[in-house]
Amino acid sequence: MPELLTPATLYIAAAILLPFLPKGLLRQIVCVLVPFAGVAVFWSLPPGTYSSFNLMGLHVGLMQIDDLSRIFGLIFSIAAVLAAIYAWHVRDTIQQVAGLLYAGSAIGAVFAADLVSLFVFWEGTAIASVFLIWARRTEGAYAAGMRYLIVQISSGVVLMAGVILLYRETGSVAFGAMELGSLATWMIFIAFGVKCAFPLLHNWMHDAYPSATVSGTVILSVFTTKLAVYALLRGFPGTELLIYIGAAMALFPVFFALLENDLRRVLTYSLNSQLGFMVVGAGIGTPLAINGAVAHAICSILYQALLFMSIGAVLYRTGTARASALGGLYRTMPLTMFFCLLGGASISAFPLLSGFVSKSLILSASGYEEYFYVWLILLFASIGAFVHTGLRLPWLAFFGSDSGKRPKEAPAHMNLAMGLTALLCAGIGGFPAVLYGLLPNDVAYEPYTLSHIVTQLQLLAFVALGFAMCVRFGLLAKPERGILLDSDWIYRKFFFALTIGLYRLVNGTWKFSSRITLARLDRFIAAIYRTHGPQGPLARTWPTGSMVLWMAVLLGMTLVLAYI
Amino acid sequence: MTGPNPPRAGSPARLPWLSRHLLWTEDRIKVRRLVWALAVLCTGLALADFFYHKHVYFEIEDIPGFYGIYGFIMCVAMAIAAKVLRVLVKRNEDYYAPYSVESEEHPEADLGRENTHA
Repeated sequence: MPELLTPATLYIAAAILLPFLPKGLLRQIVCVLVPFAGVAVFWSLPPGTYSSFNLMGLHVGLMQIDDLSRIFGLIFSIAAVLAAIYAWHVRDTIQQVAGLLYAGSAIGAVFAADLVSLFVFWEGTAIASVFLIWARRTEGAYAAGMRYLIVQISSGVVLMAGVILLYRETGSVAFGAMELGSLATWMIFIAFGVKCAFPLLHNWMHDAYPSATVSGTVILSVFTTKLAVYALLRGFPGTELLIYIGAAMALFPVFFALLENDLRRVLTYSLNSQLGFMVVGAGIGTPLAINGAVAHAICSILYQALLFMSIGAVLYRTGTARASALGGLYRTMPLTMFFCLLGGASISAFPLLSGFVSKSLILSASGYEEYFYVWLILLFASIGAFVHTGLRLPWLAFFGSDSGKRPKEAPAHMNLAMGLTALLCAGIGGFPAVLYGLLPNDVAYEPYTLSHIVTQLQLLAFVALGFAMCVRFGLLAKPERGILLDSDWIYRKFFFALTIGLYRLVNGTWKFSSRITLARLDRFIAAIYRTHGPQGPLARTWPTGSMVLWMAVLLGMTLVLAYI
Repeated sequence: MTGPNPPRAGSPARLPWLSRHLLWTEDRIKVRRLVWALAVLCTGLALADFFYHKHVYFEIEDIPGFYGIYGFIMCVAMAIAAKVLRVLVKRNEDYYAPYSVESEEHPEADLGRENTHA
């Protein structure tokens, strides 16, 4: 019996046990406590590979502990606790089980020492998380979940194919740094890219995340994409292509986030842009850049979760997250507003908050390596984050034109979850040394230099002024009901229309050819019927008299011939 | 930056502490004053560039007030670009119906709607 202990085992065991517990307090307590037990499993272990065994000749290791996996394991566990507190009100067994399995798979994937166990947990995150979307139980959510599942499972299948090819090439399935070059590594790279929401592979996120339940979206925002960032950091650090992919990723979602009406979708675009920073960090690959990517993943998990929680609370109380239907909520939801502003300030990299200490690592790394245009784009994306998430989002939800809605303040457990997350955002910003101490590389970095603080404050103040001008002179697009076309149009409309067109073409051709064939066949049968049918000349019963006559003629002819 | 004031259900005194202290956001004059204060702050921060040694990665950062200028211009530019983009990409909410959640309301079972009478 191989040893199977990894934090994921605990989550899976708890998920199996959970449906047998009575609905209520006990279940919530289990959901909150499991991540603590998970941390206890790995935190005290020294670096190394544990729970390894041979599986059909493959060397499989379930728990690889090093600085990179440890910090991702920790932040995933923290996020799982926060999400469980936020979801305290949920009585839906499916969501509770799916949440546990999803967090467990993500943490399992982080500790996977080989690509086979990575694949298993990779697919596990896809299958578990889709239930958080289906838990909404509407036709639209069912369709969105299906699309999400197809994309995620495809990512896993491509990963599997890549792993098989790699195994044939190298004879090993160990998960370490790879180089792009062979088909195998390209396939693994693309599989990671799908989950990481690379440009043009990104749309599953904006489609699926806002389709989930109130608490489901918060959980979804944490794991899948950051798991992909982790996989890129371990598998492809220093791959130059990633720098350009990351820059494009940071840039394009900005415009969509500025237009989107669904505030939860504004946040997915904003998340996509933040992922771009991490991908750039992974691509630059210097110790400082890798540290930056890891630190930004951690900070981004926290402030994005905080933002999703606050908008989730608005949705929970008002029944909508549409900007066009919201506004003026600061009157009755001041705490939620405060947490939203704090999350927004964190993502905008206000000094003393988490975004400042992580984003500046990546910006500095791109500066040191002299990627000028990438640096300009990242600066643009930071400005964008402040405009669309730091200013526009809270302005539309909590200030702006009054919607007349007077919802009650978010429930206590949501405020508690938001409060704890906010505390972590401020704590990391205030005491960056704690975070830096946990990062994989030993690099001295001081975020709070006079230069950094003044330039960042200058940037923020001018952008805020620019935003005020845009609002004053009507340059900022007003929120309107509607959706934005994105690359998902290709498969949701174009491929759909193509399939319908193809169906009509094949159907029409079949109908036409079968009609022609049938008509010919009918005519052929009719012709045979005419000759061979009951009335046909060949089937007629001829009178015996005529036969006798013909016999006489034949005999006569024989006689004549005989006498000639 | 403020919208019209509809008649309130109760007096501001019944609002939570934090909300009471933010009622000024509905006062156009006070908001305008805030924007002016922001402009003064911006000027101050731009002038600050002359008084310390800026640690730079690229030459362009040496321009005094570079971050402010870049931030302001890009903020306005992205707002305008987004407005143009909207003409191209915006569609009705039922564009993908019935295979999308945009065309439906959030199910009530997942919500905890409650209103205050403040």
